[in-house]
Amino acid sequence: MNDSLVLRADHISKKFCRRMRQSMYYGTSDVLRGMMGWPSCSGSLRPHEFWALDDVSFSLRRGERLGLLGGNGSGKSTLLRLLAGIYQPDAGRIEIRGNVCPLIALGAGFHPLLTGRENIYLNGALLGMAMRDIHGRFDQIVEFAGIGECLDAPVKTYSSGMHVRLGFAIAIHSNPALLLVDEVLAVGDSAFQDKCIEKVLALNRQGTAIIFVSHSVHMVERLCLSGLLLKQGKPLFLGEIRECIRRYFDDIGREQVTNGVVPTTVGLGKVLISEVKVYQHETAPEERRIEFGKDFFIQFAYRFCGAPSRNTQVRVTIKTFSGRDVQKFVLQEGPFQGGRLYQNLKLVSLEQSGTVKIKVLNPRLFPQTFVVDVAIALVEKSVHLGGLVNAAIFNVVHPGSADHYLEYGNSTVTEFDYDVAHTSDAVIKLARS
Amino acid sequence: MTHGMDQIVIYEPDQRTGLGFVASWQAMIQNVVNSRELIWQLFKRDLLAGSKQSMLGLLWIVLSPLLGIVSWVLMHEAGVLRPGALDVPYPLYVLFGTAIWGLFMAFYSAAASSLTSAGGLLVQAKFSHEALVAQQMAHTVTVVIVNMLLLLVVWGVFGAAFHWMALLFPLSLIPLFLLGTGIGMVVSVFAVLVRDMSKTITTVLGLAMFMTPVVYAADVESAWLRRLIAWNPLTYLVGGARDVVLEGRIAHPIGYAASVLLAASLFLAAWRLFFMSEQKVAERF
Repeated sequence: MNDSLVLRADHISKKFCRRMRQSMYYGTSDVLRGMMGWPSCSGSLRPHEFWALDDVSFSLRRGERLGLLGGNGSGKSTLLRLLAGIYQPDAGRIEIRGNVCPLIALGAGFHPLLTGRENIYLNGALLGMAMRDIHGRFDQIVEFAGIGECLDAPVKTYSSGMHVRLGFAIAIHSNPALLLVDEVLAVGDSAFQDKCIEKVLALNRQGTAIIFVSHSVHMVERLCLSGLLLKQGKPLFLGEIRECIRRYFDDIGREQVTNGVVPTTVGLGKVLISEVKVYQHETAPEERRIEFGKDFFIQFAYRFCGAPSRNTQVRVTIKTFSGRDVQKFVLQEGPFQGGRLYQNLKLVSLEQSGTVKIKVLNPRLFPQTFVVDVAIALVEKSVHLGGLVNAAIFNVVHPGSADHYLEYGNSTVTEFDYDVAHTSDAVIKLARS
Repeated sequence: MTHGMDQIVIYEPDQRTGLGFVASWQAMIQNVVNSRELIWQLFKRDLLAGSKQSMLGLLWIVLSPLLGIVSWVLMHEAGVLRPGALDVPYPLYVLFGTAIWGLFMAFYSAAASSLTSAGGLLVQAKFSHEALVAQQMAHTVTVVIVNMLLLLVVWGVFGAAFHWMALLFPLSLIPLFLLGTGIGMVVSVFAVLVRDMSKTITTVLGLAMFMTPVVYAADVESAWLRRLIAWNPLTYLVGGARDVVLEGRIAHPIGYAASVLLAASLFLAAWRLFFMSEQKVAERF
């Protein structure tokens, strides 16, 4: 292993069993085989087993910071436990130079009846620290945890924040070559969080390599230069952190679009909305993938069941996947009373049936998943004649060749300019005949 | 801060099973030696925490065997028990018998519960699981010492004859430690995989007490029970330890030697199993 390397993970895999009964049987047979000195059946899957981590390779140099990204069940925690030596890999090889400090469960082994002082020694020993080291760093630990006069009180009298602070303070003073940070920086009050991050970065400057796991992508982005993206145990990407985050969200977005949303009809049913589409290229209206900053189309068809209403107002709303309105396009037959207009309003008068096509110009929707609602109402009246909520879903993605970075999920609202084209079916028929 | 000199740790599949026989024993012993500070801390934790929570504190270590003795003696006085022909006063016989048996069971249950009682800790930190067993053993040994002091007092009260062999009494407890801990370690590993394992074995061992001459003498009338007693290694281990103090001899040296050998090999095999399955066990939590 190269001198500057702290960690090298070489094609590591780990499998687990989903069924309790099978898992009992496999466990027993593995233990007995181990006892006899026979190799276990680790290389291949037995019935009901799956790869929790599948062929992951990466390495870390001194002072590097790697972010681990992936949804629930992607194998992040399993990977950390392998690196911490708690689990044994079923395939591959891990080499680590120096001691590993897992900030996975802070205050592991704390006994509630023992005092803070007694628990510092206990927890330190559990993390593999020598007594004399704990002794030497004792004051630093107490000072960092900020537990002061509570040092000789039983830990069960501590607040949960104090508990975590003490756990963090002990772990961080174990002089690790590799620090595994699993979501723990999200605990404690914000002042202590900042202090923790400061401390972690200070260790990093002294050469400690760090692996961060957090669901807060902004935290990972802030702290790491490179990232590893996992999905169902498989490594999807390893490299520059922003590219990693971009792919992570692309992946989430793709899943959201694939799983889709359920369109729901609303209103009085006097007008029907159908064929709602969002696309960038007219040649591929099913694409649903919109590149950031480039014009795109929202299109729908409508049909009045009876005679077409006069004085209509069409509202097309773009909202985030979580339901927050971001942009509204309003098309009215005429202005409001007194001649006022919305800033973003266009004048369009509907026929018996037709197709409305909105071209969104120079949009500034940040990368994420969006949903479109379409509704038709009467001007000055808030009752919907008809509408379709969750009518379409689409993803805004990073431009392929961006020299600037776009924050995912930003839902800053601006008013976009747009053009609208209305084709009445009647007109088309006339034109045809 | 320099990490350049640090040693390289490697994790691979079948790392421990791949070790040769000698290397695995070296690793096992090294494990325990390296964890001595952790063992000490865990031992202190349990002792302190245990005494902080109870009103009578360490007095319990004395009280429970004492209550046991009183009940056996009362039953004997009432004529319910016919222990058979004995060379020593019955209270003394039953006192040493139950104390030695209790010790064996204490070693067993301490080892058997070492992994399950640690629970989540096994997946939160990497440490040698032997430390858990060793800490439990250390705790049990403190109980043993208190017990022995108590026995000494009772012994003086009954004014039994002193034999120089009696000084070997602490040594005669080692095979019981090996057997109890050995069975306990096997159970601790399997109890993680199969939850009702420890319950089953504990029940079986509870029954075994009645197939061991603990509260009665070995020359029982029933032929099948006599045969069972003759093949039961605990007969020799419990009886041997008691003989050493009370009679200054071991009544069945061959049976005793064979049982000691059995206990030692079981202990070594159990430790190996424990060592080899350490990480498999962590996965089950």
